[in-house]
Amino acid sequence: MILNEQSAGNVTIVEAVGRLDSANSPKVQDRVGALITGGATSLLLDLGHVEYVSSAGFRSLLLLARQAGQARCRFVLCGLTPKVKQLFDLGGFLDLLPIAATREEGIAAAQ
Amino acid sequence: MRKPSNVVYGVEERPPLGVTVVSGLQHAGLMSMFLLYPVLIARAADAPVEVAAAMVSFTLIAMAIGTVLQVIRLGPFGSGYLCAPIPSIVYLVPSLVVAKQAGLETVFGMTIAAGLFEMALARALRPLRPIFPPEIIGVVVLIVGVATGLLGLRIAFGGGGAGAVEPAELWLGLVTLGLMVALNVWGGGFLRIFCVLIGMTAGYLLAGVLGIIPQESFDGIAKAQVLAIPDPGYVGWKLDLSYALPFAVAGVAATLKVMGNVATCQKADNADWVRVSMGDVTRGVLADGAGTVLAGVVGAQGLNSSPTVVGLATASGVLSRRVGYSIAAILFALAFLPKIGALFYLMPRMIAASALIFSSTFIVVNGLQVMTSRLLDARKTLVIGLALLAAFAVDAQPELLRSLPETLQPVLGTSLVLGTVVGLALNLLFRIGARRTRELTVPLGAVPSERIEAFLQASGESWGARADVIGRAKFNLVQSIETILEGCDPEGPLEVEASFDEYHVVIGVSYRGPLLELPEARPTNDEIMETEEGHRRLAGFMLRRYADRVSSTHKAGLSTVTFTFDH
Repeated sequence: MILNEQSAGNVTIVEAVGRLDSANSPKVQDRVGALITGGATSLLLDLGHVEYVSSAGFRSLLLLARQAGQARCRFVLCGLTPKVKQLFDLGGFLDLLPIAATREEGIAAAQ
Repeated sequence: MRKPSNVVYGVEERPPLGVTVVSGLQHAGLMSMFLLYPVLIARAADAPVEVAAAMVSFTLIAMAIGTVLQVIRLGPFGSGYLCAPIPSIVYLVPSLVVAKQAGLETVFGMTIAAGLFEMALARALRPLRPIFPPEIIGVVVLIVGVATGLLGLRIAFGGGGAGAVEPAELWLGLVTLGLMVALNVWGGGFLRIFCVLIGMTAGYLLAGVLGIIPQESFDGIAKAQVLAIPDPGYVGWKLDLSYALPFAVAGVAATLKVMGNVATCQKADNADWVRVSMGDVTRGVLADGAGTVLAGVVGAQGLNSSPTVVGLATASGVLSRRVGYSIAAILFALAFLPKIGALFYLMPRMIAASALIFSSTFIVVNGLQVMTSRLLDARKTLVIGLALLAAFAVDAQPELLRSLPETLQPVLGTSLVLGTVVGLALNLLFRIGARRTRELTVPLGAVPSERIEAFLQASGESWGARADVIGRAKFNLVQSIETILEGCDPEGPLEVEASFDEYHVVIGVSYRGPLLELPEARPTNDEIMETEEGHRRLAGFMLRRYADRVSSTHKAGLSTVTFTFDH
């Protein structure tokens, strides 16, 4: 799993590349969690290059969303591929997490 | 389910009344051309003109009721799609033979038997599904499309002593067909929806201006009564088992045509279509068989769902089943209005040919789409290629048919039936060894998910399975192995068995340890975040939802979870 960080205004963008499974989700959780703890107010997690999300990945996303909520940080996901979006739907996560279609919409939603 | 961009009114949509009525008229006009078939059967039985006229009227009544049965979705009947029936070529050839040799009563009796046989097939379609795969259904639709186009060309240019084509007639045909094509390609809105009706009307006007409406059309229309109640005096029923085989083969071909039409309608109405819904197909075949039974009872020719109607519906973009009621009302009225009916089926040959050729192009492409909806391996390629070759050989190489035993010649005497029979036989033959199983042992410890996915990807490619189904199976395999390794403390390696039998991808994972739970209810978010059990239950919940069927067993310490994906 590769994580690339960028920023657009006050929005910190983390682009994930690879598989969000039990092997990789702790890495995402640690890195994004550290950004929240470090005072980020707007976070966009771009999943456009993520091909697979397992239950462990969803658990990490839930935990990050909770952590962001407690820290008053806006946490938005974007760029879901149709296959990954289907997994979100299957696990009942589509309405639970703020999801934008594109990175541009995600930046706007996170601000 | 997404509506395709070229569809104006989807199956469940309600077009304005005007569109519904005029679309019905357009379809009824096209369907009426096939009323030539009952006339031919009456002639083959040496029946008087009055009987032929009554047979046309009763065929119209059966078509009207058959159309309602097909679109209504009432109890076990009706696909709900615009798969309206017409007097069918599949029943024409055996009916002509029987009419000549045994008379009309035997035609009607055998038609009832064929309809009952089709209804029986409908009830057995689910278990028979492996025998009727999409490539065979596509082949049938494609053959019908080509046959419809060739029929148009035959009507236009020869056969039946129609005489040489005058230049004016040729222009009439070119202008009529050209107008239909132009309106369909460049016309928007109503112009596209009603391109065939506008083309036929313009063709009639042009034919009038050019003075090339045949005298027999004028005579036929002039002689026909304005209002008449058909006389059923000629109707009777006899069964003769010596004709059972040709009618049974016709029943199978009719069933396949319904399957093809329903699949085409489903695909045309849904941009996300991946497979035929067997429930709709079963109801469609049952309604189609019932329509044929009814046709035999009232003294009409055997009916079958028309790819021409489906072709016109997909060309115009109006798939709404409400149009079916409009078609039925118009056909029913025509049964009592012979003069208007004659206007349709005594249409100048170039106009009729143009409408048939135009519709045939859409039927051909519909067939190709159904046929190629799955990856084609060597087996399927051979089935398609040889079945099509056999079908086209009937016209191109008639010696082939004459080399068959005499008793089989009338049974296999049409391109549709011969192509269907060859396709079905090869499909059955190639099923030998079609079920393939692959195994993988997953050792305890960290196993790269990519390796597990690669195993299933390679399996899917060697099977010729659909990529989307293999994609779903990959998720379940990787997720189940991940969850078992982390949460079920297996005592030894995991054994994976993946199999494919053309209709299902089945993934089984066996291990020694407690059974993986596959709950029907999703755990709460707090459970997922706070407890390992909640996390495992989420995995099990997703595994259950992603597969079409799941099962799990635990015997003597050995647990097995099995995921089945329909293909």
